[in-house]
Amino acid sequence: MRFVIHRLALFVAALFGVSVVVFAALRILPGDVASVMAGLNSPASRVEALREQLGLNRPLIIQYVDWAGGLLRGDFGTSILTGRSVTSLVAGRAAITFPLIVLGLLIACLIGIPLGVAATLARSSAARAAFHIVGLIGGAIPALWGGLLLILLFSRGTGLIGLFPSQGFPMDGWGAPGEALWSLVLPALSVGIIVGASLMRYTRSSLGDIAASGHIDMAMACGMMRRQAVIRVGLRLATPQLVSVIGLTFAEMITGVMVIENLFALPGIGSGLVTDVGNRDLIAVQSELFMLASFFLAVGLIVDLLHRALDPRLASADIVAEVVA
Amino acid sequence: MMVVLRAMWRRAEGRFALVVLGLWLIVAGVSLFWTPRPLLETDGYHVWATPSAAHWLGTDGTGADVFSWLMAGSRTNLLIVVLTVLVAAVFGLLLVAAMVARRATVAVVSVVIVDALISIPTVLLALMLAVPLGASVVVIVVACGFGYGLNLARVARPAALLAARSSYVESALSNGASGWWIFVRHIVPNIVPVLLVQLSLSAGTSVLAESGLTYLGIGVPSGVPSWGHSLATSVKFINVYPLTVLWPGLIVTVVVVALNVFGDVLRDAIDPLTNPALRERSGR
Repeated sequence: MRFVIHRLALFVAALFGVSVVVFAALRILPGDVASVMAGLNSPASRVEALREQLGLNRPLIIQYVDWAGGLLRGDFGTSILTGRSVTSLVAGRAAITFPLIVLGLLIACLIGIPLGVAATLARSSAARAAFHIVGLIGGAIPALWGGLLLILLFSRGTGLIGLFPSQGFPMDGWGAPGEALWSLVLPALSVGIIVGASLMRYTRSSLGDIAASGHIDMAMACGMMRRQAVIRVGLRLATPQLVSVIGLTFAEMITGVMVIENLFALPGIGSGLVTDVGNRDLIAVQSELFMLASFFLAVGLIVDLLHRALDPRLASADIVAEVVA
Repeated sequence: MMVVLRAMWRRAEGRFALVVLGLWLIVAGVSLFWTPRPLLETDGYHVWATPSAAHWLGTDGTGADVFSWLMAGSRTNLLIVVLTVLVAAVFGLLLVAAMVARRATVAVVSVVIVDALISIPTVLLALMLAVPLGASVVVIVVACGFGYGLNLARVARPAALLAARSSYVESALSNGASGWWIFVRHIVPNIVPVLLVQLSLSAGTSVLAESGLTYLGIGVPSGVPSWGHSLATSVKFINVYPLTVLWPGLIVTVVVVALNVFGDVLRDAIDPLTNPALRERSGR
């Protein structure tokens, strides 16, 4: 319980820290947003008027309190360029990005964990080497290139085997669920294969650690086959670690997701954020960065709590530590 | 030095890594004063040419030579990798020093900060920096160096903590050694194996990050040759000219594999436990 409270306090402190960092980075670093927005060669008076209108002339602390106060009330501000509220902008984009991430993660688990188990079970050195090489290469493919190869292989029109639409998202979005899902398959595959390769390496190494600590031998001494022991005992023991790893790769995945969204012309959070940065849409970028960062902090929080729930040894270790102290 | 290299060469993986990285250095060096074609020479009559004797890997949409651009790109990528690894190493070591500091407040606060920041993806930092700076190498180096430094600190902390609580550190303290002296002399050598593996992973990831960020328009500015740039320019025409997109992606993949393997092999080669040649030498 103490751990949970500590962790929650850390989460709140981190949220505050992130909001300060995001705010400060966008104000203090060189490059005046107003002059960029006004465009090249625009008169100084126009830049000044724009600064006034955006409230950039106010003291930084007032600007920050204004923005952070809005965040607390759930008001993420208004995009300067489009005039829409940032909340509605992000909600529309998340409807694409979120399913994409979940689908990608699912594919990664379906590829990574069985391959990791197979690599642990492999006996011949040739098979082991083959799994090792697959893991190495899979993790070294640039997301952009992987996506392109998939387009070349499987897209309608140009691909060798025309199965999936090569780019875009249906106009009516999830109104046509089949078509929408279909257009997410290739992007999710390109993200999933790369994450799957690193998941495979982690699965193998944590299964290796567990085997080295004698749990597998014990299970086999109790009459399990090696295969059974690795899958039933080994995987169960590896679960807390794997959950942590999946949580961390979740955060790393977003880079790939941004590239993939751009490549497949999906109007999701990643490609939207890149567009907003390109347009120097200050308020939108600021709030979107904060939203994304807090999302990842929340994922970190959930993973830590989950890890704790899955591995009771950690909690009892705390009790021992408290008694000793 | 030779002993270490020989031990690395003895393994197939090590040979692969050494050959690829060696070639990379050579090509980057050569590209400084020679490329098969000048970078800015464009041949409007031979746009998207297939590989031939004149253009080894063909030409791109402006008729520029793909091979020459990839050669020149290798030095941009080399620069990015070296700078990123340096930033990550310095930042990571400073964090490790703070995390094992004897003053409890410094240690606790730094651990909390690292734990909080580590779940924020590198690309968000890069986007934040790109708002004022636009596309530039600085964005990649700072964002990646910062993110990988955090990772490094988190992974190296257990080994550093173990060393910090060892009896030789205690004895050095009782002899009046300063904190920094102990960190450099006693703690850093203990985390070198972790450091090598993490830094070589970071080097590989920074090559991948370069291609991603450049494609997103916040990495290497347009007009500067880099592998990410070559990849990004050919993307738009993938449906028409699929061949040109193969090369830069292939190079990136091979180099990243080599960098990842390099750290592993180097760690084993400098460890007297796994490299008997080093034991013989110190015994003499």
